Amino acid sequence: MLNTIKQVFHSPKFVVGFAIFVAILLTMIIYPLFCPGNPLEQIGVGTFAAPGTYVSLYDATKSPTETLRLPDAADNRIEASLSKEDRVEMVEWFGAMGISVEGLDIEDTDAMVDLWNANYDPSVRPAGMTSAKINYYKRLDNSIKELNASDTVIIADYDEEGNLVTTKTIADTDYVNTKEIANVKTLPLGTDNFGRDVLKELVSATGTSIKIGLIAGIVATVIGLTLGLLAGYLGGITDDIIMFVTNIFTVIPSFVLLILITYSLGQEQRGAAVVAIVIGFTSWTWTARSVRSQVISLRNRDHVNLSKLSGHSLVRIVLLDILPYIASYVVMAFILQVSSGILAEAQLSLLGLGPKTTQVPTLGLMMNWAMLYSAHTNGSWWAYFPVILVITLISFSLNLMNTGLDQVFNPTLRD
Amino acid sequence: MKKLFALLLAFVMMFSLVACGDSGNSGTGEGGNDVAGNDGGNAGGEVVAPADGEEVVLPRNETLYFAGQQWGAVNSWNPIGTNQNNSMAIAGGVGWRETMFETLYMWNALDGKLYGLLANDDYAWNDDMTVLTCTIKDAAKWSDGTAVTAADVKRTFDIGIEIGNGVAGSYGAYIDSIEADGNKVTINAKLNDAGQPVNPLKILDFLVLQPMAQAAWIDTCVERNNGDATAILNDPGDDVVWSGPYTKYFADDQKVILVRDDNYWGQDASLWGKLPVPKYLAHNIYADNAAGEVALKAGEVDVCQQFIGNVQNLWLEDGLPISTFYDEAPYGLCLTMPTAWFNMNIPAIADNAALRRAIAMAVDYDSIIANAMTNQSPSFADVPRSLMNPTAGEQALYNQSEVADLQFTGNDIEGAKALLDSAGIVDSDGDGWREYNGEKISLNAVCPNGWSDWQASMEIVAAAGQNIGVEITTLYPEADIYNTVFTDPNQTEYAIFMWSPDASTPSNPWTRVNQFMGMDYVGIQNNWSGNWGQYKNADADALIKQIPLTTDEAEVRRLYTELTKIYLTEVPSFSLMYRPSMFHTVNETVWTNFPADDGRNIPPADCTDGYGIAALYDLQLVG
Repeated sequence: MLNTIKQVFHSPKFVVGFAIFVAILLTMIIYPLFCPGNPLEQIGVGTFAAPGTYVSLYDATKSPTETLRLPDAADNRIEASLSKEDRVEMVEWFGAMGISVEGLDIEDTDAMVDLWNANYDPSVRPAGMTSAKINYYKRLDNSIKELNASDTVIIADYDEEGNLVTTKTIADTDYVNTKEIANVKTLPLGTDNFGRDVLKELVSATGTSIKIGLIAGIVATVIGLTLGLLAGYLGGITDDIIMFVTNIFTVIPSFVLLILITYSLGQEQRGAAVVAIVIGFTSWTWTARSVRSQVISLRNRDHVNLSKLSGHSLVRIVLLDILPYIASYVVMAFILQVSSGILAEAQLSLLGLGPKTTQVPTLGLMMNWAMLYSAHTNGSWWAYFPVILVITLISFSLNLMNTGLDQVFNPTLRD
Repeated sequence: MKKLFALLLAFVMMFSLVACGDSGNSGTGEGGNDVAGNDGGNAGGEVVAPADGEEVVLPRNETLYFAGQQWGAVNSWNPIGTNQNNSMAIAGGVGWRETMFETLYMWNALDGKLYGLLANDDYAWNDDMTVLTCTIKDAAKWSDGTAVTAADVKRTFDIGIEIGNGVAGSYGAYIDSIEADGNKVTINAKLNDAGQPVNPLKILDFLVLQPMAQAAWIDTCVERNNGDATAILNDPGDDVVWSGPYTKYFADDQKVILVRDDNYWGQDASLWGKLPVPKYLAHNIYADNAAGEVALKAGEVDVCQQFIGNVQNLWLEDGLPISTFYDEAPYGLCLTMPTAWFNMNIPAIADNAALRRAIAMAVDYDSIIANAMTNQSPSFADVPRSLMNPTAGEQALYNQSEVADLQFTGNDIEGAKALLDSAGIVDSDGDGWREYNGEKISLNAVCPNGWSDWQASMEIVAAAGQNIGVEITTLYPEADIYNTVFTDPNQTEYAIFMWSPDASTPSNPWTRVNQFMGMDYVGIQNNWSGNWGQYKNADADALIKQIPLTTDEAEVRRLYTELTKIYLTEVPSFSLMYRPSMFHTVNETVWTNFPADDGRNIPPADCTDGYGIAALYDLQLVG
């Protein structure tokens, strides 16, 4: 046994696959220890906050400041409210209004802004200009006004009589160390459509999906193995009947069957475990067929016949004289079943037929919600791409492990 | 050797990827209906084959493309039929879609006024509001050149009652008969036992929502179906006569196209004085919202009647020439409020107004509005909760300050808990969930599967339940199952479920108030009309019945204020957000001068509904 395991770990493919899988498992276990909390908690109000570090503006205004005179601060500020494209658009507006721009340097912010302020009138609609453009110029005008604003921001509060009283002024050279701010939240993968922390949800969903894969894999392997062993060993009419049933299940595309069963179950019944069992129940056929063929080649071996002559029971012969010889194959089949179980859950959930939504996050459900909220069309990649990546990594690592095992155990592939 | 081969293979793959990317780009360029590359007015247009089999190209600069209306092949052009899915010609949104079949008046949801279409601006009631008269415009003509007369109006009403189409359901209880005398239409209201009209407001609805069909064509249709009502209702109406500015040009399962009728009577000075600008109105049938949105972004769609989350990103981030009616949030004209209804067939709900109010108080509406509506709705702090939609006209119909004490803006967990505690609904067995009559209260929050914004709302309602110790789980059945269950007056399967009340018609807010608390709808089988929660309150019902007959404005205001008080105290349902009844997002790549909040008084009604069709006469080509 120990020798077999050593042998397995000499296969580089298996080791790489195993390492990836273990890394995913470890993240699943360790991450919640550092970042505890309910993965389904809606921390964000609104949809799809971009990944990044969020600083509480409320706390920042109350934190102690340092004065920093940074040479490029003013330029950065101008660039933020008046980009190069904006300047080109300004010139276009001057043109549309018939204002001479001769000698105007596009880089000369003051001249540009002066000319703009002297001429811009929000009520004028140049002929043929679209509403979208007119709205754009309104926004541009607002940001130019901000440029012109004084270099301090005033924080005011109501006094007892209800008048605004200045409590603090913030200069444009005031900086706050992020360590001093009471509330800073880093969302490495942003939030999803419900305002949930995607990373936290992803870690939890990976766990659920692997569990679903494992349950589906166990169910499929147990059914397939039992039927395959019986059909292969007993042969005759039993074999015929079992293969008849197996063939029926084979010719009906299993995914269609899966869709029909989950649909008819109804949403109330669809917990993660139920979905896993249904997936397992529809994917056992190829395990049964290949186990059967392996068993047929084994059942006339001398040691099996010897066992039969010794009067051993059917169960004993199957478990002790046949199963050990195909165990490596069964393990490989199991790994593939787990991998396809995870994929099947993702596919089902994407169709809206996955587990019930409020209770657990799964990888498929995350993708389903991202798609329902058009994350793919509005550029919110963080809501679905990491999920795809995790699914890919899990099934890649499992398949790699399977190939590695194959190389060790399959005599025709041995070096 | 092997390595070299692998390297080569990698290069080949890389090149093929790059090549794919390129061809993809040029593909969208060609299909993008780009006017700039237009030689002879045809390139960039769309090729269609109308009925005669000859291929015709739709010039992009004469075609206005829609999205978000038609989701399947058109099955009928029969304006008196009921087997309808013809969203471009026979449908209503904010008023009636005036493209092919016209109403007597056009509804303008912006100012709440009726504008003459087939009829002159002269409708008038008699003193006790039992008779309404108006006259048909002299210029009004059918497509076959004959004049539109009062007889057509009468025949449209009569055939509706006879064969039981929408006319019977909507107006049968309110209109007794219609008399025709040349161009003069006289509508007699149905009277109640006291000799008063049942509901004059519903007669105004008839003026703006009922499309007129030609009496002669109705006769033809009745004759060929041997007077069989079912056959008439299902008649495809391919030979129909219309009065509107557009007619059918081409329809299959890919697209539906209307073409302008250049003989349209509305060119007369008594109506528009000109023809609408686009020659074709085309609607490609998209697989889903996402496909329609992609087409809008690509400039293949001009007017998009679809909810687009974070619509402002289309111009703020993507810099596309796309705009909405208002250039700031809520971006659209909110006319209705999707509402969660409490099912009064469930004893724990029916017996406890405190429980209903507590759940409604605990729900985080800001989160729903930010999430399900991506802030395209005013908040309940901006527009306090009532029976009215957020338009100024309806808001003026009740006294805000009198009901201010009853308001709640949501996410008030402590307040909700205190209310439940004081009502004796407490957790006595220590399992974390409250009980009523010794039994754990366990409710579900239900909406159709795939309606993502509603589903998100129901998730937030469920979360509110969790916060106050009332178990609420979400349930998303398929839409057809949902529709069967929630319209059943005796159902106990759904405890809290979503549906939208009426949006904007002349009879609103009355119709909506009746939907919220009227007892007319209680116990009706297959109830699509209102009061889906089966709420019974005789006092409220009496007040509702008074309103249509009350002409004194101060009295109407008092009645609506009383009703709002009852509604906010009893909480038979609670609105979750405000929402436009039609979305209006336009791409100005080809066309511009769409309705906007610019004083032209044209409502954002998809350029086709009610007075919104005025937009088609104002459109301009870009550049």
